[in-house]
Amino acid sequence: MLVNIKEAIKLIEEGKILHIAADESLLEQLPKGKWIAGTTPYFITEQGGVTCKDKLFVNEIDCAVDCKITVYDRSNVFNITKDSYHNGMTFLVIPFASDIAVYYSKEAPYSNDLLMNPTVGWITGYDLSTNATAKVYDGSSGKAYNDKAVALHICLPDDKIASLGIVNIFDIDSNAAKIEFPEDTLSVSKCLVNGKEMLFADYILENNIDTQLPLVADYNGTLINVSIKSVSEGNKTVELYAPVFAGEEYRFASPVSNYAASFTEQLQSFKDLNPIFSCNCILNYLYGKLEGKSTPPFAGPVTFGEIAYQLLNQTLVYAVVTDK
Amino acid sequence: MELDSIFKKLIKKDLVYQSDSLGLNLLISRLQRKYFANQTAEELESCLQEMKAFFEKYKMIMGKDLDKLSKLWEG
Repeated sequence: MLVNIKEAIKLIEEGKILHIAADESLLEQLPKGKWIAGTTPYFITEQGGVTCKDKLFVNEIDCAVDCKITVYDRSNVFNITKDSYHNGMTFLVIPFASDIAVYYSKEAPYSNDLLMNPTVGWITGYDLSTNATAKVYDGSSGKAYNDKAVALHICLPDDKIASLGIVNIFDIDSNAAKIEFPEDTLSVSKCLVNGKEMLFADYILENNIDTQLPLVADYNGTLINVSIKSVSEGNKTVELYAPVFAGEEYRFASPVSNYAASFTEQLQSFKDLNPIFSCNCILNYLYGKLEGKSTPPFAGPVTFGEIAYQLLNQTLVYAVVTDK
Repeated sequence: MELDSIFKKLIKKDLVYQSDSLGLNLLISRLQRKYFANQTAEELESCLQEMKAFFEKYKMIMGKDLDKLSKLWEG
């Protein structure tokens, strides 16, 4: 829910366990308490998408029976699974353009234990019309970081269990070429296009590929996107927002003519869901012109990357807590 | 034992299975990549243990998947 600063302070002072997203100017005013936060001025609320620097988006985690907040750097970020409660979940916020964000995006898919604990979160951002820096906050100390990740581990009652899900409005264009990569990487040079080796940058440029569309891989029925960050004609490299993996087959997504309508269509099957957290990608927000448009039952921060165990791109991520 | 065989087939891509569980789908893909990078009996066993640990932890909510996987085996 979107609240003003006084309401947010009241919730903290009442001892509520909170996940907060807001502009830095508001987060700096919050008292210490059981909260973590990340910076963004973009939200999708129940009333629609807004850019807002005078309100905070707060998720009150009232299903938790206990919690702890931990700050991580790249040397220990994958301790999150060891630090998590046996029956619980972890909210993770990581600042955009930080070393740890890149490290997490590359390494999370290799982490043996990561899928054993629901870890949900986002890459924090900033107002794109400014030169601000993305930050994360540990509410227990009141400290802000632009180079560390902050996790809120929550413990759930024995009769409850957390699970994560995604909504991906993109579909694989079955007519698009099959693209494979020889190595796991965030920066691509060579690839195989329908089995023929070529430079990925050349393939994109020569075929006028719309790089607003992600590459999509089918993970046993779950479609996972990888968004294109930049294409360098000079260096013949393509930078990605999340890594591609050797052994997976990718295709570019089919074009989406109306993002809001596509979300509405996809969200029909989620209308009875009661998520405790969700977030959506800034690229969906911008390319899809979601300002003023809502995505019920999902509301939350608009993010520079989404985390559902691993880093995802151009995806809506959510967490639910249900009876066992 | 029957379930072990199903899991091994999944890991080796001898069986196709699509779950509604994001975590399970990510796990299957990760184990398939892991196994195909090192196709040894030891790696297969290691992947199998990971799969079993996942199902053990989430057995309360994986009943539907276990049923569907068993039917795949019967089929």
